[in-house]
Amino acid sequence: MKDSVRERAQAALQDDYLRNAVKFTTERLRSGKQSAAAELGHWEEWRERGRAIRLHTIAHLDYYLAQFADNARQQGAHVHFAFTKEEAVAITLEIARRNKARSVVKSKSMVSEELHMNEALAEAGIETVETDLGEYIIQLANEPPSHIIIPAIHKNKEQIAEVLSREAGKQLPAETSVLAQFARQKLRQKFLQADIGMTGCNFAIAESGSIVLFENEGNARMVSTLPRTQITLMGMERIIPTWADLEVMATLLPRSATGQKLTVYLSGITGPKRTEDSDGPEELHIIIIDNGRSLQLGDPDFQELLNCIRCGACLNVCPVYRQIGGHSYGSTYSGPIGAVLTPALVKNAAEWNDIAYASSLCGACYEACPVKIPLHDMLVYLRHRTVTKGRPDLQEKLGMKGFRYLMSDYRRLRKALRLGRVGQKLLSRNGVIKAKLGPLKGWHRYRHTQLAAEQAFRDNWPVLKQELNRSLAQADPRIEERLQAWVAKRERGNEYDA
Amino acid sequence: MTPDFRTSAPSKMESETETRQQAFLQNIANRLGRAVLQEKPLHPDKGAPRFWQEYRLDQQARIELFCDNWQKAGGIVHHFPHEREARQFLVQSVLDSGARKILRQDQPELAEWKLEESLREGQKLVCWQAMERTQALAEAAEAKIGIVVADYAVACTGSVVVASSAQKGRSVSLLPPTLFVIVPLDRLKTRLGEVLTVFENRARSFYPAGIHIISGPSRSADIENDLTIGVHGPGKVYALLFG
Ligand code: SF4
Repeated sequence: MKDSVRERAQAALQDDYLRNAVKFTTERLRSGKQSAAAELGHWEEWRERGRAIRLHTIAHLDYYLAQFADNARQQGAHVHFAFTKEEAVAITLEIARRNKARSVVKSKSMVSEELHMNEALAEAGIETVETDLGEYIIQLANEPPSHIIIPAIHKNKEQIAEVLSREAGKQLPAETSVLAQFARQKLRQKFLQADIGMTGCNFAIAESGSIVLFENEGNARMVSTLPRTQITLMGMERIIPTWADLEVMATLLPRSATGQKLTVYLSGITGPKRTEDSDGPEELHIIIIDNGRSLQLGDPDFQELLNCIRCGACLNVCPVYRQIGGHSYGSTYSGPIGAVLTPALVKNAAEWNDIAYASSLCGACYEACPVKIPLHDMLVYLRHRTVTKGRPDLQEKLGMKGFRYLMSDYRRLRKALRLGRVGQKLLSRNGVIKAKLGPLKGWHRYRHTQLAAEQAFRDNWPVLKQELNRSLAQADPRIEERLQAWVAKRERGNEYDA
Repeated sequence: MTPDFRTSAPSKMESETETRQQAFLQNIANRLGRAVLQEKPLHPDKGAPRFWQEYRLDQQARIELFCDNWQKAGGIVHHFPHEREARQFLVQSVLDSGARKILRQDQPELAEWKLEESLREGQKLVCWQAMERTQALAEAAEAKIGIVVADYAVACTGSVVVASSAQKGRSVSLLPPTLFVIVPLDRLKTRLGEVLTVFENRARSFYPAGIHIISGPSRSADIENDLTIGVHGPGKVYALLFG
């Protein structure tokens, strides 16, 4: 990736439609989630259970994967393992070759984006059609998805009409129903003709060897019902132990993603079709993919990333994502989860180090996450690693050095502040500083700095302290008792943070 | 039932699979800093929280909740006191629709309804049976109405559950633009978990290949957040409860 997050974000910020659409959509999804969680009740208890199940599964991942593979094979599925994207692609192409496949219909799969599967299939001369409406649109527009749940969030109706008109060979009006109807008819033919159906995998159930798909349109059902061969791409962490655990995931995922109680379709697919069945795939291949995921295993800072259920809730609450949209992150996964997952998935994390800075560390992502992944902490760890690897920005390095020099001696600090109060007069205009000089340039592009107060808090402190003592002496004894208890707890350490 | 899969001569891909699996699992164990697990781990946090597992609604509450959820999702729902009224409604709807081809599952409950006797001339009722694949799919693709009896229904999520078999095609609840799902009340449960755990305890050889939980009409909000109904699956879905 040549350009930086800053440059990509710059472009996104110029696009008014994009900014409004992202804001509107994320707002809709976010408030949908909030009311769904409130309506359900006990949301924290559900989250805690979701997290416990994910933690347990990942801690025993080898066992559950082996159990899954055994059971899926007993049901007649072919199970493959791929360490790298190249291996996953090679296995897919081999299956396609054996079946003399000329066309593939796909339902939504973030993993396949990771693998650049469509490009690989196209190179092998195999037509690949995305069938999720949003994915279909951006495939025709030749763009990557910009949101996990709503991939074409950045396109307006006119742009979509233009893209679909090109495919239709005639001008289609910019009306949702007409455009959707066109896609329905076109894709129905593709479903019926395709040799291979390719799906992602929301969850895999170890105890029965089943794969589970959540969707609203019905295209994943088409893809897993009509073609003779089905290939399912599964990130190795997508597993859960039992059907009972699926109830928890089914409670958390749709609510967190769109605010629905359940997606319109929830499908459990166990093996290929039975001998007597007249529809369903005759051959089912499940490719279990590592592609950098195992790098997070055993890493205390990042292992919890594998708990992610790809709901997109962290995107919808992220103040940065909501401004710059998904493409600015420059990778398959965007938003807070993308900012952490992208560098975590590749060995040369340095290449991606700028996206860890595309966050305000406000922690809204953690609050929203249905399985409580501490994404904001992880962003700090990533930045920390960048710094300890000795790759910080020179300006930042100098800045931090200066900060340390100043802050390590209160007399020095006081002197500097006094100097500053005098110095700022040179830069101030109408009571604020706007100068776009040197290190102030970035900050002052969009903001002004308030002047330092005439009298510093430090200089005021003796007076304030006296006042405080007086008012404390007169404080309500109950309040004081509570304050004391609180201080005592704090002194005992961080147990309340645990 | 024996699973159906083509046996092709073992090749490089198959022989590689096993060694790769070993290495794959070994790598996971290495990263976790221990040997590959052989014993089934204890899983104390299995399934929904306790309070939820104990949650039950009485039948009247289940009916109301199901109907409310189904309607909110954009479906049409009716509750009839008796089976014959449900049949009557279905027949009338099929007659009114003017659909030429209607597809139903080969379920004994449905056979008893003898729908074919009540249809108009020019309307054809096709029964999903063990058919040749291409023919089966062609029938399903042409049908305007699909009729199925649900295996289960779930009140809390407003869902119906249909599992596949030779007699119950996956396409019947998927390809026709209109779907009728018949729900005998004794199959209506409170929680999703009650239904999922049915499959948990099922012997491996009795697993249906496809278990589909349907909660309303097919929908998408991919074009400028406009809700579009029936984008791939059925856009008109009726749930007919009786009993
Ligand atoms: S990190 Fe959490 S909130 Fe973000 S996509 Fe994953 S599960 Fe959802």
